[in-house]
Amino acid sequence: MGFDFPLLIADAGLMRLSSCLIVGGIIFAIGAWGVVARRNLLIVLISLELMLNAVNLVFASFARAHAGSDTAPQYAAENGQLFALFIIAVAAAEAAVGLAIVITWFRNRETVDTRDMKEMKN
Amino acid sequence: MKDFAFILSAVVCVLSAAAIVSRKNPVYSVVFMLPFFLGMTTLFVLLDATFLAAIQMIVYGGAILVVFLFVIMLINLKPDELREDFSMKSWFISCVGAGLLAATFALFAYRGTRPNVEDVHFAKPLEAKSRPHQTELGSVENIAYPLFEKQMIPFELASVLIIVATLGAVLLSKKKM
Repeated sequence: MGFDFPLLIADAGLMRLSSCLIVGGIIFAIGAWGVVARRNLLIVLISLELMLNAVNLVFASFARAHAGSDTAPQYAAENGQLFALFIIAVAAAEAAVGLAIVITWFRNRETVDTRDMKEMKN
Repeated sequence: MKDFAFILSAVVCVLSAAAIVSRKNPVYSVVFMLPFFLGMTTLFVLLDATFLAAIQMIVYGGAILVVFLFVIMLINLKPDELREDFSMKSWFISCVGAGLLAATFALFAYRGTRPNVEDVHFAKPLEAKSRPHQTELGSVENIAYPLFEKQMIPFELASVLIIVATLGAVLLSKKKM
């Protein structure tokens, strides 16, 4: 892109390791709030996906931070991205199993409200 | 330019994440997952993780989102089952907990990284001097070598995990056990 924004000069230093970590932390906290506070089982599962995505973002930003260092071992940065890749695989498996459990629960009880899940209470 | 793209995608991500957890109808939550995943993909591209960005868009935007939509259409919730009349106390407590979590992460990001890890500017391009053999960080070649040479066993275990999860999902959603 040949044009520059007047307020945001090309390298204002806004995109750095700590700001990426803060974005990841905010998204993780939003997802944790959704898991704890919401009562709809589907939204709880979606919030879990949010938390996993936030962790992926942190992994990718640390990988990028270590890519430029001379002391890091070979392929250290790629290994960080690989870990995020494995998290995506686990998240896909978790979504499949979790949604199957939701469907089974709904077939048995006609609800997806977590407040109705008290068979094992007491 | 990179800074502008970063700020834009970070704001999109945080706003759509807030929309996801706050909508009453789960269909809107799934619809707001799309801008969330798009923003996340942009962040991965900005962090030189291009292969990860492609996988993110394919797996999350292509598979998981559609599966969630399918399940929401399948169970077809009635409006009176979407009630969220949780008490003020539990709402307040969960807000405080999430705020404390975010504050802890922010504290780590600000102070925890300072003495050990340099607070790297990502807007500068990666200099090739420190990476003579692998100039591109997230390319397919550079991902494939450590994946198939060093991390072979976790890779195979991931395939076993996915097979087991598929079988488990089929078994769980059968009519009769």
